[in-house]
Amino acid sequence: MESRVLKPVLAVYCAAFILFLYGPMIVLAILSFQGAGGGPQFPIIEWSTYWYQHLLGLTPPGRITQLPIGDSLLRSLTLAFMTTVVSTVLGVMTAQGFRTRFKGSGVVFYLVILGMIVPGVLVGLGMALFSNMAGVARAWWGTAFVLHVVYTFPFAFLIMLAIFNRFDRSVEEASLSLGVSPAQTFRRVTFPMIFPGVLSAMLFSFTLSYDEFSRTLFTSGRDLTLPLTIYGTFSVEIYPNIFAFGVLTTLFSFTLLAIYALLMLRAVRKGQAFKGQEAEA
Amino acid sequence: MEIADNRRAASGLARSQGSSSPAEKREREERRRALFLVTPGIAWMTLFMVLPLLMVVYVSFWTQTTFTVEPTLTIESWQRFLSSSTYISATWTTVRIWAIVLVSTLLIGYPVALFIGLFVRNQTLQTALLVICVIPFWTSFLIRVIAWRPMLGTEGAINMILINLGIIDTPLTTLLFSEFAVLVGMTQIYCVFMVGPITFMLSRIDPSIIEAARDLGAGFWRIFFKIILPLSLPGVVVGAIFVSVMVLGEFATAASLSGRKVNLLGNIIVSQVGSLKWAFASVAGVILTIIIAIVITVMLRVVNLRKEM
Repeated sequence: MESRVLKPVLAVYCAAFILFLYGPMIVLAILSFQGAGGGPQFPIIEWSTYWYQHLLGLTPPGRITQLPIGDSLLRSLTLAFMTTVVSTVLGVMTAQGFRTRFKGSGVVFYLVILGMIVPGVLVGLGMALFSNMAGVARAWWGTAFVLHVVYTFPFAFLIMLAIFNRFDRSVEEASLSLGVSPAQTFRRVTFPMIFPGVLSAMLFSFTLSYDEFSRTLFTSGRDLTLPLTIYGTFSVEIYPNIFAFGVLTTLFSFTLLAIYALLMLRAVRKGQAFKGQEAEA
Repeated sequence: MEIADNRRAASGLARSQGSSSPAEKREREERRRALFLVTPGIAWMTLFMVLPLLMVVYVSFWTQTTFTVEPTLTIESWQRFLSSSTYISATWTTVRIWAIVLVSTLLIGYPVALFIGLFVRNQTLQTALLVICVIPFWTSFLIRVIAWRPMLGTEGAINMILINLGIIDTPLTTLLFSEFAVLVGMTQIYCVFMVGPITFMLSRIDPSIIEAARDLGAGFWRIFFKIILPLSLPGVVVGAIFVSVMVLGEFATAASLSGRKVNLLGNIIVSQVGSLKWAFASVAGVILTIIIAIVITVMLRVVNLRKEM
């Protein structure tokens, strides 16, 4: 009886919550089309793509300097790619290892999970101290890179663990007992079956690393990554060019997400086609 | 007991060295392969996470000179930290902000989780609503923080709306660059981490239990407090751990939205590193670690996750 009243009330509340989640981004997107002389707030003096052109360096140089995103974007993409490769490989290996019970697996599990729990400032600080003591120069492709993997490897590991948990072992065993080598079995049998998980692990690793900055702050050395460039604008006045950048980077992430969805769909379809064959035979 | 175990292990060892059955041999090989597979991961985490964290503890006892630290052990940095009102108040600010954000994410997030997890029984719609909640995470974290500036500013969207509605005459100036802005920003960014786990637990509740309670004459609130809330508690604890860990390690939201009025332990670490005061930064780091450890331990005491999950 009461739930008949409650459900619509909660539905409206839920809609308000979604507005709360999206509101700031919507306002930011609207303001990114501010005219040349306008500030980072309402009213919009004129609708234009001025700040997008400003971001890409297409406007004549003026009072406001261009955001230095070119090099840092390249660095961030390279870093995210490196992190994705290493943390996915580590994640698959470790999860594969966890399929066999071994002594101390509980401790190893918590050790890996700790990587996603420890605040970035702390490991960042520790890594900076560590490299100072060891005399290693701090660089985005070195000290920052290893910390990015510390952060994303647990996600890859958990995803792969979930995949291996509902994994039909008998197919693998059949392959092994037919005399196929373990390496071949992994490549031809195991890997195609865990591919959706690998894809998810890669997506997570890439996006988390691409956006990571608290771990990078103390460890990247002189060359900045993209989030650090954005962080640099925190202390100074902001202009709508950073809003334009926000819109573009969001679109980039959505593109990644769309590619992931397409690949996933294809993998699922392939799996279904395979199952169909099985039934026919 | 122990002797018996040892003997069994010893005999197992003898057997494995001598003639062992194929099954045993295979098992041993598998275990060796498993250890081989997990070793790189363990090595990476030990080398690049555990050692740096130990380093923080170690350096907090080093001697701080003007521009560098020297490995002469001292508790000077600790004494200075604990006797400085700036640092102590930063610690309290961190704890206060954490507590408020935790409560607000729970209060704001729980009804959302209740709706998605319990009232929406269509799986597709349920997934779609969750996906809608998660999509903002595909925007850069820093951009989401900055997005609050045009919302809360003196000429921002909220002031504009309030003035147009005739609720206020002059724009509110305390919205942005205040503790309020930090709280709103953090609540919005971290709320979903509360909604997710609670929704997951709520969607696992068997509807027939609630139906049974209703048939027996229980009203909604009674059902809520006697059935729904206890069953969702593990989700609340998991969400609370997520939110706590992230809020306690925060510094960017405070740096961007508080106008330097809110100094969290994270901000202290950043500013101390900026002026090369490594030892003080380390002390702040150790204190932050202790706070996080206490919070997680207490939360895990409340609910035994292993038993509930």
